[in-house]
Amino acid sequence: MSNQIAILLAVLLFPGGVFALALGLALKGVDRRVAARLQSRVGPPLMQPFFDIVKLGFKRTMVPAAANETVFLYTPLIGVVSMLIAAALVPITSVYAPDAAIGNLLVLLYLLMIPGIVLMIAGSASGSPYGAIGFSREMALMIAYEGPLVLIAAAVAIRTGMGMGGWATFSLNDIVAYQQTHGAFLFDPVMWPAVAAFCFFYPANLGIVPFDIPEAETEVLEGPIIEYSGPVLALFKLMSAVKKVVVLGLGIALFFPLAPANLVGGLLVWLIKMAVLMLIGITVVRLSTGRMRIDQAFVFFLKWPLLLAVASLAVVVVV
Amino acid sequence: MGLIPDFKKIATRSPWLYRINAGSCNGCDVEMATTALIPRYDVERLGCQYCGSPKHADIVLISGPLTVRVKDAVLRMFDEIPEPKVTVAVGVCPISGGIFRESYAVLAPIDQYIPIDVNVPGCPPRPQAIIAGVAKAIEIWRERL
Repeated sequence: MSNQIAILLAVLLFPGGVFALALGLALKGVDRRVAARLQSRVGPPLMQPFFDIVKLGFKRTMVPAAANETVFLYTPLIGVVSMLIAAALVPITSVYAPDAAIGNLLVLLYLLMIPGIVLMIAGSASGSPYGAIGFSREMALMIAYEGPLVLIAAAVAIRTGMGMGGWATFSLNDIVAYQQTHGAFLFDPVMWPAVAAFCFFYPANLGIVPFDIPEAETEVLEGPIIEYSGPVLALFKLMSAVKKVVVLGLGIALFFPLAPANLVGGLLVWLIKMAVLMLIGITVVRLSTGRMRIDQAFVFFLKWPLLLAVASLAVVVVV
Repeated sequence: MGLIPDFKKIATRSPWLYRINAGSCNGCDVEMATTALIPRYDVERLGCQYCGSPKHADIVLISGPLTVRVKDAVLRMFDEIPEPKVTVAVGVCPISGGIFRESYAVLAPIDQYIPIDVNVPGCPPRPQAIIAGVAKAIEIWRERL
């Protein structure tokens, strides 16, 4: 019973829930501010994403005549909830360890697919042709990036499992604990292909510029979310904010979870790592590249990240 | 009781802009893009953001004299923008038709069809004037929230 309450609190309050929402929005604010400074602009205030959410709360929600109203209005809710649960699965070294019943890499992989599926369903339920284009692009992109992700996860799991004397372990706590005693995978040459593949994966999963093809606002007018307005649109913004925390947190847990053993230090180091990961992998990349076409992105993912991920899996199994 | 006005104050710091080109010669549109994009006039300071879909918009910038061809499309697009919204007419064309005023293909002034809240005259207006217009629109928007 007590661990059920702990899981509930984790989903609603600390690593998930309020904390993840606030952190995701704050990261978005830092991202926009730094992006503006890199372009020598002043940029919006750091709290801008919070203002946007409050603003969207005052706007009216319009349901298009061609839309399926129930699906249209309730799918974003599924997306937000799945991401809040996912945030409760991500371990923070020496601060938070997910309950053994839920802290599983495979569960996290399934939960990470849900926002993409939510976007696809929302886009097609809105009855807009642009939503339909967004749907097909999102689907193609998902097929392209999910493969490498699964292989990366398998490589990490097998490396950890073999190091611990078994075959493969998908427990996130074990993965973090193994790296704390044996050194982070980031400094392990065997894992470098997997690290590189992950660096390609996360901009695509988060829909950052070279890979924001499903939501390209200049060609398909924000694709799946074109027909959304008001509070329901705010749900999409919250979903992508929490997703950023989950994906970056997953990257930290898989490859570089080392942190000082006390509570404050651990949290601080985790936040710094997250900010660095975001600034390098998201802000700089999105400012210095143009958007790919969907066929280019598809071929790119099936060429490099998939190759790297397969290579890392092979190396991990052989070495 | 006291929270709602505070939230309204916060909400006005996030006006999202949407541009409608009602048959403009593109002069005003270039100025609007300049307003947003170049470092000197950065409107993102005000929390503004150009959005791709009319359903996400709060402040509509309309340029051009409203030609007969685009009238239906513009009116339909205007209806797609959720309340509360504010309309800013950019350039002299929406006011009088500008250099196109004697054309048979032009329906200016535009406020016969769409309620206009702020006029920013000029052919084309300077970016500073557009920013002043947006700031004025934010004040009007605050009252409508």
